[in-house]
Amino acid sequence: MTDFPTWLQGSAVGVWTRESPSIWAYPTVLTLHTMGLGVLVGANAVIDFRLLGCAPRLPIASLIPLYRFMWAGFALNALTGAMLFASDATVKAGQPVFYIKLALIACALVVTGVIRKTVERGPGLHDADPIAAPGRRLAALSLLLWAAAVTAGRLMAYL
Amino acid sequence: MTVGWRMSVASVLAVGCMVCVTPVAAHHSAAAAYDESKRVEAQGTVKRVLVKNPHSWVFLESADDKGQKIEWQIEMGGVTSMAWTKDALPIGAAVKVAGNPSRAPGSHGMTGASFTKADGTPIGPRGGRGEYTPR
Repeated sequence: MTDFPTWLQGSAVGVWTRESPSIWAYPTVLTLHTMGLGVLVGANAVIDFRLLGCAPRLPIASLIPLYRFMWAGFALNALTGAMLFASDATVKAGQPVFYIKLALIACALVVTGVIRKTVERGPGLHDADPIAAPGRRLAALSLLLWAAAVTAGRLMAYL
Repeated sequence: MTVGWRMSVASVLAVGCMVCVTPVAAHHSAAAAYDESKRVEAQGTVKRVLVKNPHSWVFLESADDKGQKIEWQIEMGGVTSMAWTKDALPIGAAVKVAGNPSRAPGSHGMTGASFTKADGTPIGPRGGRGEYTPR
């Protein structure tokens, strides 16, 4: 009986992503993974920097639609990430930095969720006032966690 | 935002940039794993060709100075740059190869390889330099 990574790597999706000469296989999947990252982490950064005091004339409530873009980016990256993992599963499943990346993403998602609640509830986040310290701390933590997750992801190609 | 916050955010971003940018540069130059200032030559028999993304591999059965059997592991480009190998690099073919050696001590790896037949005829596009073909 083969283990899960070996099975996944030999599956149709793993073989196609890794070995197809089509421009729509590996090159496109990897590019979409980068674009999804840009949308997810980029939209996060907009809200985080706003909470840290950048662009104070931007009403915080007006940023709430950005969460839809974040989820779209996350969904795209969950899909393309699973395909990239499948293409090289036996190697990736043995890399500690892969599990560190997943843990960092999980933590970052939790912080993003908490920030969303804070942003939606509103009180204490009056647009003209400086944001309260807990909001600023969460925003800084969010920036740090997403930056660390991106770094861990990038390191998967080298460690 | 206080000056302290500004400083801490700037520091986080600066460190993040440095950490991110360094391996990316290494990736494109292959300089982290291979010594591009050196060139090694080898000859042997094509044992195995792995055509896969992001990088393909050619394995060459060869012998070292003392006649011991060794395997050269040659890192190549992605799938789209490897179409020529299907006809030009059959399993069992005797070839000569020159490229940049791996930095790992005791290993027999190379990249940026150009291939020729035993008589010196270039194999593959661009005079034997088949991989990393710019499109």
